[in-house]
Amino acid sequence: MKTPLTIHDDIESWLAAEAHDQLSVSEREALHRHLVECLACRQLHREEKNMHKLLEENLSTEKADPAFEHRMLASFRQRVPDQRGHFAAFVIHAFRLRATQIAAAAVILLALLQTGRMLTHEGNDTTENRLLSTEVAAAAAPQNAPVLDSLGKTASRSTGKPAALAEARSKDQTAAPPPVALMESRSNTQSEADSAAPADGMISKTEQVAQSPASAATDQRKVVRSARVELEVASFNDSLQQIVDLAKANGGYVATSNSQKQANGKLQGEIVVKVLPDKLDAFLLSIRSLGELKNQSLGSEDVTKSYFDTEARLKNARVMEQRLLDMLKTKTGKVSDLLQVEKELARVREEIERMQGELKYWDAQVQLATVTVSLAEKNLEQPAAFLLKERSELALYSPRVETVYNQIKALVSPKVQISSAQLGRDNRGNVTAQVHMLLAPEESDAVITRIKSFGQVENFQVETERVAQGGEGMSQNARTKRDKVELTVTLSREEQEQAAQQTTLQIRTTEVDKKTAQLRDLVEKQSGRIRTSSFSRDPDGHEIENVLLRVPMKNYQALMGALESLGKVENVAVQREDRAGDQSEMANAPADLSIQIYSQGSIVSSNTGLIATLRHTLGQGAEALMWSLRMIGVAIAFVAPWAIALALIIWIVRLIARRRR
Amino acid sequence: MDPSEQEIFRAAIRGDREAFEMIIRTQSRALFAIAYGILQNRSDAEDVVQDAFIKAWRGRWKLRDAEKLPAWLGTIVRHRARDLARKRKPEPLPDELSDQLQELAPIEDSLGKHLRAAIAELPELHRAALTLRYFEELDYAAIERLLGLSNGALRGILGRALQTLRKRLRPALTASE
Repeated sequence: MKTPLTIHDDIESWLAAEAHDQLSVSEREALHRHLVECLACRQLHREEKNMHKLLEENLSTEKADPAFEHRMLASFRQRVPDQRGHFAAFVIHAFRLRATQIAAAAVILLALLQTGRMLTHEGNDTTENRLLSTEVAAAAAPQNAPVLDSLGKTASRSTGKPAALAEARSKDQTAAPPPVALMESRSNTQSEADSAAPADGMISKTEQVAQSPASAATDQRKVVRSARVELEVASFNDSLQQIVDLAKANGGYVATSNSQKQANGKLQGEIVVKVLPDKLDAFLLSIRSLGELKNQSLGSEDVTKSYFDTEARLKNARVMEQRLLDMLKTKTGKVSDLLQVEKELARVREEIERMQGELKYWDAQVQLATVTVSLAEKNLEQPAAFLLKERSELALYSPRVETVYNQIKALVSPKVQISSAQLGRDNRGNVTAQVHMLLAPEESDAVITRIKSFGQVENFQVETERVAQGGEGMSQNARTKRDKVELTVTLSREEQEQAAQQTTLQIRTTEVDKKTAQLRDLVEKQSGRIRTSSFSRDPDGHEIENVLLRVPMKNYQALMGALESLGKVENVAVQREDRAGDQSEMANAPADLSIQIYSQGSIVSSNTGLIATLRHTLGQGAEALMWSLRMIGVAIAFVAPWAIALALIIWIVRLIARRRR
Repeated sequence: MDPSEQEIFRAAIRGDREAFEMIIRTQSRALFAIAYGILQNRSDAEDVVQDAFIKAWRGRWKLRDAEKLPAWLGTIVRHRARDLARKRKPEPLPDELSDQLQELAPIEDSLGKHLRAAIAELPELHRAALTLRYFEELDYAAIERLLGLSNGALRGILGRALQTLRKRLRPALTASE
């Protein structure tokens, strides 16, 4: 714009600015220089001046009239009444500041965070509780001094007050009148009540003396010593005599002694000896030599405190007695009062006697130590007799448990006693019975043999014990006596015997039920027994009958041959356990057969067919669909609260903005 | 802009009514010029200015920079005026103007009529700049502030506006001469 050429190119804006008098001095000079040079621009300049003049003439008439501002103000005042308070103004102004806006956003975020934590219970509210409880404790402490100990921490926080309080409390306790003082104040005389105070002082003083461990008054201590000794001696009477001598030598005496004879003819007894406390140890050492020491205990009881307590109370009571006596001597007051004094005097005297007795007892206890010696004679002699005890256990197997049980019960006679008998049936149909018997020794063998014949013996045990009577060890000349025989018979229908041979096989057939019935007949014929059988059928038509049966070995081959008639025999497996024994026993030994009779079901089961597969596939598809639906629900549950919160915030912000406008 | 004026703007933004009323006093004529420039109608322009002040008062917290208050007011007025102009566009603007003109100044009939028609065909911004200049005789700096323009842009706008008018009115001008 500085060059003439530029002025020429941009002449219109230059001319307008010139017309509007908005050119600087240098610009105006530059323009004028150009106008002098350029004819075309001069022409335009003239036109521009006319145009400017025309516009000035025309447009100035259209401008706002003088009252315009007043109208504007009036309408503003009318439409925006001045009703805002300073607070609202402040809030609005505050919200203009960026710091305030950031702070507000931060507060909202924090509030959201806290709300979330509260909803999820993530916060550690135990700290809060703990704080609360300590505060409560601190508040309670000053009122409740004993609580202090259990609340160490709290106490240390507010040490001053509670400590002082506790001290005051203990002072109260020492100042509180003890039973003696109470007793005295009962007699209604003011002067007497005064005496309580010195008594208290004395008591607490003696207490202090008694309790201080380093006190020099050790010889004043009242200690009751006692000992207990258990000895095993050869002869009770000899030992007793020796103990009497020893007690005398040690400045003591035998206080009591007692003895008793035991079943085995031995003497046993207890001797109580009193000796001087100083010589107690020497005495104990010397009596040890009397026999074998089994047990010894030495004890001492310090009664100093109680002794001096009682002594002090006794002094008080004596003072009291003297006063009451004085009152009686002066004989002032009514007769009823005197009677009252008399009564009180009697009570106090009784008290004094009781306490004196107590002190005397303690003095005696302290003066002499008590030693209790338990003596027992040693068991040196041989037994007088032997008793032969026999216990037998018999386990019987019989298919007819109840019959056998009744047969055993029928054996009862004076020499065959039944101490208990029980018959039971469990939930699987097994019948068992147990009989406890006591048999006279001379009858026992015959009875046991008889019972054995009732069924098949599975187990028989005899236990014999020789019990010495009246002594220990061996004896050549003691006689042996047979005691009653205890017999326990256990009856069961299920034999426990292991099969000598075990066979497993399968039979394939089309009619399982029918073949099973046939099998039962076959087993019956071969004198076998079916132990268990079970039947099952699955949805595909498989039928399976499992049979466990037992036959004697001698009939085994015959049965195996007969099985061929039932169907196709498959998978025969045999396991045999050969026993040492004669041939006849082997022939009677049981053989177990585990037979499975089964039929084949349809080739394609209803569960794996085309329709079933389709149904399965559809079911799984539906399940997957439901699963995804559930997951969508979970996702919504995750997002929705935040979306709602966000929407709410936006709504509130917009509401505030609208209100402000 | 002098400091005291800035102080007034700031007070007004903070909610000082007196300061805002002061602004109404000082700025309303210029704003009227802008509105008139766009609408070419006095009563409409007056309504627009009134509305603009209410709106500015209620939305004053949105404005951060007190210095930009005049430009902001100018923008509000221009937007409202443009909205209003768009609404009543079907109305034939020049005819209405000429009717008024005939009532007001019957003497300079033909030339005035031509002038108004020519002005009406100018772009909005050009009309606003023109009215600001010829109504209130504001200097360029003030116009720039109100319309948010640079000095060069304003010079260009006014230059082109006058040029357009000259070209349109050249026959009428020569005839009158």
